[in-house]
Amino acid sequence: MADPRVERLAGVLVEYSTRVQPGDLVCIDAPLAGGPLISALYEKVLEAGGHPQLRADADGELEVLLKHGSDAQLEWVNPAGMNEVERADVRIAVEAETNTRGLTGIDPSRQALRARAREPLRKRYFERSAAGELRSVVTLYPTHATAQDAEMSLDQYEDFVYQAGLLDSEDPVSAWKALGERFARLAEWLGGKRELRVVGDGTDLTLGVEGRTWVPCDGHENFPDGEVFTGPEETSVHGTVRFTYPASFGGRRVSGIELEFEGGEVVRGRAERGEEFLQEMLALDEGARRAGEFSFGMNDAVREFTGHTLFDEKIGGTVHLALGASYPESGGKNESALHWDLVCDLRTGSEVYADGEVVYRDGRFLDGVL
Amino acid sequence: MIDPRIDRLADLIVDYSLELEEGHVVRLDGFEVAAPFALALYRAALRAGGHPYTRISFSGLLEILLEHGSEEQLDYISPLQWDEIEHLDALVTIWSEANTRSLSRVDPVRHARLIGSQRKLSNRRWERISRGEMRWCGTLFPTQAHAQEAEMSLAEYEDFVFAACHVHEDDAAAHWRAVAVELEARARELASVRELRIVGPDTDLRLSVDGRSWLAADGHYNLPDGEVFTSPVETETEGEIRYTFPAIYHGREVEDVRLRFEEGRVVAAEAAHGDDYLRSLLDMDDGARTVGEVAFGLNYEIDRFTRNILFDEKIGGTMHLAVGSGFPQTGGQNTSGLHWDMICDLREDGEVYADGELVWKDGHFLAEPAVEIVESGVGG
Repeated sequence: MADPRVERLAGVLVEYSTRVQPGDLVCIDAPLAGGPLISALYEKVLEAGGHPQLRADADGELEVLLKHGSDAQLEWVNPAGMNEVERADVRIAVEAETNTRGLTGIDPSRQALRARAREPLRKRYFERSAAGELRSVVTLYPTHATAQDAEMSLDQYEDFVYQAGLLDSEDPVSAWKALGERFARLAEWLGGKRELRVVGDGTDLTLGVEGRTWVPCDGHENFPDGEVFTGPEETSVHGTVRFTYPASFGGRRVSGIELEFEGGEVVRGRAERGEEFLQEMLALDEGARRAGEFSFGMNDAVREFTGHTLFDEKIGGTVHLALGASYPESGGKNESALHWDLVCDLRTGSEVYADGEVVYRDGRFLDGVL
Repeated sequence: MIDPRIDRLADLIVDYSLELEEGHVVRLDGFEVAAPFALALYRAALRAGGHPYTRISFSGLLEILLEHGSEEQLDYISPLQWDEIEHLDALVTIWSEANTRSLSRVDPVRHARLIGSQRKLSNRRWERISRGEMRWCGTLFPTQAHAQEAEMSLAEYEDFVFAACHVHEDDAAAHWRAVAVELEARARELASVRELRIVGPDTDLRLSVDGRSWLAADGHYNLPDGEVFTSPVETETEGEIRYTFPAIYHGREVEDVRLRFEEGRVVAAEAAHGDDYLRSLLDMDDGARTVGEVAFGLNYEIDRFTRNILFDEKIGGTMHLAVGSGFPQTGGQNTSGLHWDMICDLREDGEVYADGELVWKDGHFLAEPAVEIVESGVGG
């Protein structure tokens, strides 16, 4: 029997996250491993009166390109892809991996070359999203590969994923709306603050956030969701941060990352594993050494590290900082081909100060804040 | 280990069929069951210096569209699709399916509507192809569904498909270049013929091909390939034909089709099975009762009927006559929404006369075509 949660997920993505309207051009970007969700989305989009277009490629295509492509081939940006970013009304991106480490053996500089060439695509995508011209959401369809990273069976991982999306509830949309109201209140309150200081194990980091917008994330752009983020002032970040969890990017995993910031820039970066890749990414472009995002993870159904950013960055009681591009809607101005989320667990022995006052302790905002 | 024939077929398509050049944008279309072959093509195109990308579709979505789509959704072609056609230098269509009968029960009216709307896009594609602005090749990667249709195991069917494409041996391109020379010579000879008469069991049909040109299908647009074809003079087909193999249109079979022609048009049609479907197709429009194509199947690696027109129409020793639209590039003038290839097996008891002279018997031309010897330049 088909998992009813898959259909519920498709319904939430189409009706709530992206609000597909009659006549909308809807690009469904999904690897074939997302099969049942692809079919469910296709049907929901049709029901909503939209025009679904599936964008799928063959498994292993990127690996072949990165291994065998010339520089010109790596730097080629498909005009059809650019056209899609310009013209789609809605984009639903499904992550469904068959092997999360398949690109580990690739020369990182080749990945960097490709990422830089595709930067205009990403930039336009961010711009149109921020301007409200493109409604887009990123989600994940559980596969053995991501279950393996989470050290779970597929069955257990499915439960984890769907619980995080509140999809066990009969009416997940109402549940997300209620969370959204809470996050909106927090965002408004944070919007009145000038400076944050995060203190924890190996971490003492100060960020200026004056005049920046805090964005409540309630399932419209990520699904599952649950965070409140902003773009810190580009030259303000100062101090040291030690990230609790390994961070994956472009099919590689780096662990034990420690960064030291001065004047908004990373002046020293270290990693227990994968340091070469970390350095390569930090050197990707000028903006890659700056923090483009700072965020509080607020999804209490996500409690453990599972090796996937979509979930890890939302763990209730964590914060994350992204190296690279900021989201225009937060007021952040940093530009980069990179956007790499790094997560710091604050659930024990940690505090966050806002303008000198403790507002958050051991993973929770103090009573009275929310 | 990957079947080396897969990579050979991919190389053949990229280098020989598409003649892909550095910087060319090539899209590779297919269902997920063909993804391993799409990846092989991707690798080959990358090696040739092109910019390949795959566009994989997912089995079952078309059925959802046909079942749930509004008329507006069935008619819709996105601006992305229109623009994309203009940017392609080459396109490969892999026709492999997961289930060849998955559309058997959809509403035929809605299906026809969808085909009609998609045709606008394919017309524009053909315009670019015929102007030489883009290249195209249609092929098939063996799947269980097609093997089942052919009543073979997958392993047997793979042998059949790869032999038909001649990639069971090294240097498939050399084979196809030789085929091209031979078929060209045959087409040149046929161009001087005014009338063909086909004689076989319950078959005696005369067609005028006066002034029409014959084209050699030599592995550029299809793989496998191997036929010479033209469009006969629209008003002159006379006589009777009985088709040996079931005639299949959009997955539906009509068995033992017999047609009688007068002044170019079908005046009587009957079938042992599927009579109604046959008549409804012949009544589709004004051009549906006229022969749009006559062709000799000349790929002798294809030695049996497998219920797939890509192969069946090329069976060595057969002829096919399609009712419906003709080919303007051969001088054909018939237009129709229909182009239905029906195949007549002439391997056991068949004769073809060209202007009264016996030129073909029991599945073979009696004489080799006179191949023009072209002196090759330096490096050949």
